Amino acid sequence: MRNRKREKEEHLERLWGMKEGEQEAVEYLEDSMKGDFDAQLVEELAEDGMVALSEGNRKIVLTESGEKEARRIIRAHRIAERLLHDVLGGEFETGACEFEHTVTSELVDSICILLGHPRTCPHGMAIPEGECCRRSERTTRNMVIPLTEAELNQSARIAYINCRDDMLLHRLDDLQVRPGIKVKLHQRYPCFVIECEGASIALDEDIVATICVWSQGPPVDRPKLELSPKEKKPRPWWSKGLMAGRKRHGKI
Amino acid sequence: MLINQLMNMPTGSPQIKKVMLVGLPNTGKSQVYNNLTGDYSVVANSPLTTLETKRARCRLAEQSYEVIDSPGLHSLYNPSEEELTVRDLILSEEIDILVQCMDACRLKQSLTLTAHLLTLGIPMVISLNSMDEIARKGISIDPVALSRLLGVQVVASVAVQGQGTEELKEAISRVEAGGPEIIPCGEKIEGWLAELGSKLPVEAPYKRAISLLVLLDDPLILDYVNKMYGPAAVNDLQQQVKLIKGNLRFNIGQVINQQRSRWLDRVAEEVTHRTKPQSHGFAQEFARLSRHPVFGIPILLVFLYSMFYVVVNVANVISEWMSDVLWMPVEAKISGLIPLGFWHDFLIGDYGILSMGLANALMTVLPILSVFFLVFNIIEDIGYLPNLSVLTKRLLGKLGLSGSAIIPLVLGFGCKTVATLSTKTLKSKKEKYIAVYLIAFAIPCAAQMGLNMSILGRIGLSAFVIVFSVLFVVEILVGMALNKILTKQGQGLVFIQELTAIRLPNLKGVLKKTYYRIYWFLKESLPVFLGAALALFVIDKLGVLTATKRLLNPLIEGFLGLPSAMTDAIILCLVRHEAAAGVMINLVKKGQLDYIQCIVAVTVTTMVVPCFANIMAMAKEVGGKQTLVMIILIVMSSFAIGGALRWTLVALL
Ligand SMILES: Nc1nc2c(ncn2[C@@H]2O[C@H](COP(=O)(O)OP(=O)(O)OP(=O)(O)O)[C@@H](O)[C@H]2O)c(=O)[nH]1
Ligand SMILES: [Mg+2]
Ligand SMILES: [Zn+2]
Ligand SMILES: [Zn+2]
Ligand SMILES: [Zn+2]
Repeated sequence: MRNRKREKEEHLERLWGMKEGEQEAVEYLEDSMKGDFDAQLVEELAEDGMVALSEGNRKIVLTESGEKEARRIIRAHRIAERLLHDVLGGEFETGACEFEHTVTSELVDSICILLGHPRTCPHGMAIPEGECCRRSERTTRNMVIPLTEAELNQSARIAYINCRDDMLLHRLDDLQVRPGIKVKLHQRYPCFVIECEGASIALDEDIVATICVWSQGPPVDRPKLELSPKEKKPRPWWSKGLMAGRKRHGKI
Repeated sequence: MLINQLMNMPTGSPQIKKVMLVGLPNTGKSQVYNNLTGDYSVVANSPLTTLETKRARCRLAEQSYEVIDSPGLHSLYNPSEEELTVRDLILSEEIDILVQCMDACRLKQSLTLTAHLLTLGIPMVISLNSMDEIARKGISIDPVALSRLLGVQVVASVAVQGQGTEELKEAISRVEAGGPEIIPCGEKIEGWLAELGSKLPVEAPYKRAISLLVLLDDPLILDYVNKMYGPAAVNDLQQQVKLIKGNLRFNIGQVINQQRSRWLDRVAEEVTHRTKPQSHGFAQEFARLSRHPVFGIPILLVFLYSMFYVVVNVANVISEWMSDVLWMPVEAKISGLIPLGFWHDFLIGDYGILSMGLANALMTVLPILSVFFLVFNIIEDIGYLPNLSVLTKRLLGKLGLSGSAIIPLVLGFGCKTVATLSTKTLKSKKEKYIAVYLIAFAIPCAAQMGLNMSILGRIGLSAFVIVFSVLFVVEILVGMALNKILTKQGQGLVFIQELTAIRLPNLKGVLKKTYYRIYWFLKESLPVFLGAALALFVIDKLGVLTATKRLLNPLIEGFLGLPSAMTDAIILCLVRHEAAAGVMINLVKKGQLDYIQCIVAVTVTTMVVPCFANIMAMAKEVGGKQTLVMIILIVMSSFAIGGALRWTLVALL
């Protein structure tokens, strides 16, 4: 027997997508769900109070409770995409779709914390905020941290840029500040300077804070494979002064 | 061969092909332009050196070309104001060949721009500069492989040494019509681009680039479409975009960026090879020290002091020698030949056309400027100045200036006119106003700096320190005041500034630039020096000058405590600061300015009124009315500050 709950969730997920694209036609839903569209199921959703139909069943929108449910699913889906894409790399579409129907909100939140509260999925779509994001919860084992908190002069790979401003993202992309690239934080004071693909860039702290990197920090058990011996050498004496600002940013 | 070319040429096509140099800021475009044309466009190790396009003709293999040097460009998408002029130029002038200048050390960054440029479908050549530097870093780039992957000719070059110029010329003359291979965006997006392109008139050029910009929601591209093809085309495009974006499950811009990134990661990986393990060169360490909050300050002071030292110990000595050996005998001879009277005064009197005009310009000012420009150009080519922006960031924040205003202010130490023009990169009106004001006010341009050092050096290092501390404090206070008074208008820009790499200056380049700076100085100023002397001579003979001096007496002598001869210098500031400086040097030599007077005089003349070219640039950036207001404020406040300084010094010393 087909999994009813799961199919409903798929419909709600699609409806959220339609809301983002400002679409309301049932026909549109039918089109974009392809073979999976189920008219009876839509009626059931309406009975459950999840969706509201209007204009002779030609328009469909999420109700408040439907939106809440869809939001939960979308959040799980996109967090899962982030996890699969960033940590495991490669194909993530099907995995994310499996994931979203089985996880609890608590688990999603813990992954969210671990990943440093990403705001967009790898496709650049917004991840709805969770309780954890509003409280900016942290653990000692965060896998992803803002570059502001990274060790000075250690190269770190960018996981994602936590920013929804397209123009800014494009500007950073032009300078090669983008996921997958290794960057180094040179100094925090009097102005943040990072090194990226052979160029030094001075930039505002706000922007550096949106650059999220894989942490190579405290968890000692994680092997530091990416450091070449050269980079491990102790910092020269003069650059120690640059560490002064670190404490301030180090804890939150 | 020739016949062949003629046959291939479509009838009515222009005989002269347009070659446009484009590239990221500071990638050697101007250097390549100079190499190709023999013309001179200023080359400096700093972004925003070229702010306006420059053109010159050159002839290669039986064909005339017009070569265009352009300001730096990061991408076709969402350009800043100075980048927009470049984009408009590409889209509106029928460019036959694009030559992208790349800095080999910033290969990936440059390739992002390449990806954008390739969408235009204009025949392209790549000049891969700085091959010497990348080799020193222990990385090799294979131009042949790059050429194969991009489908365009790539010329490896060391532009500063002229290496690769011949090959580039050859490549340009070999370029065939028809665009190079385009980077596919993936089937889906390509389909959308084609759909959008079909909404443009059939004959419209650059369909793919325009479609892509429309799809990315570029803020200004629809204006361009509107201008070229009318509102109907805009409407069609908007409808189509809406249709496309209706049910997207991804952000188009980011997916396109990701695809481009994958493409360029692959290209970069294939063409670069490490030949030596990575290491930090001296240049990199030096750059970092110069930005260090503690060590940066002594480095700055060392730079300042070495300029001062050279001016005092080299420039002043040369200038002294020149006036003793080259001018004094001439003056004596004229004195002997012509009896006192009108002609004597006309030639070598206080306002003599030879004494105040020619000798002042050539014997006093010229040697000082030559030496100073030489030192300044070396520092400029080291690339130190843009790195200064890191040190000054917080301070300028207090003046209501976001980081983006730093580079224009720093550029002010080179040329205030260029710096004023470069404020066009600032989007916030308030910020622009403050920046333009501060540049016009207490920042000495290179020429002023050199001459001030020369004047103050005759009195002592302490005088130099006092004057520059005062100017510094005044500038900060004025900035803070403006920040308080002006209301915020428009959004400030976020601050993202690439810092220039520290380089060993190229001697030939430095000498050439010094030569041109002196040449331009003479060309512009010599007539002004002579004219000003003549004008002063005339109004002196008419008695107007004495009357003016009497009128200004309470201000100059009473309030500022300066000798009345300083009135001449202050009047000369209106036309040319260098001329005023020459007069002041003579006053110091004759012992007519004492310690305090000298400090006050230099402080006031540095601030009092911006030079004419700067005023024109101000009018261009903030409008005539605002410029007038600024000038009045500047003149009044410089006298007020001069007076306050005088009384403070008198009380203290
Ligand atoms: N070592 C080395 N330096 C180079 C080479 N080409 C250019 N440069 C240096 O790069 C700096 C920038 O050169 P410009 O020609 O001013 O660059 P631009 O692209 O015109 O710069 P903007 O007009 O500011 O955008 C200068 O200091 C040059 O000396 C090269 O092949 N090798
Ligand atoms: Mg240039
Ligand atoms: Zn799903
Ligand atoms: Zn997604
Ligand atoms: Zn969260």
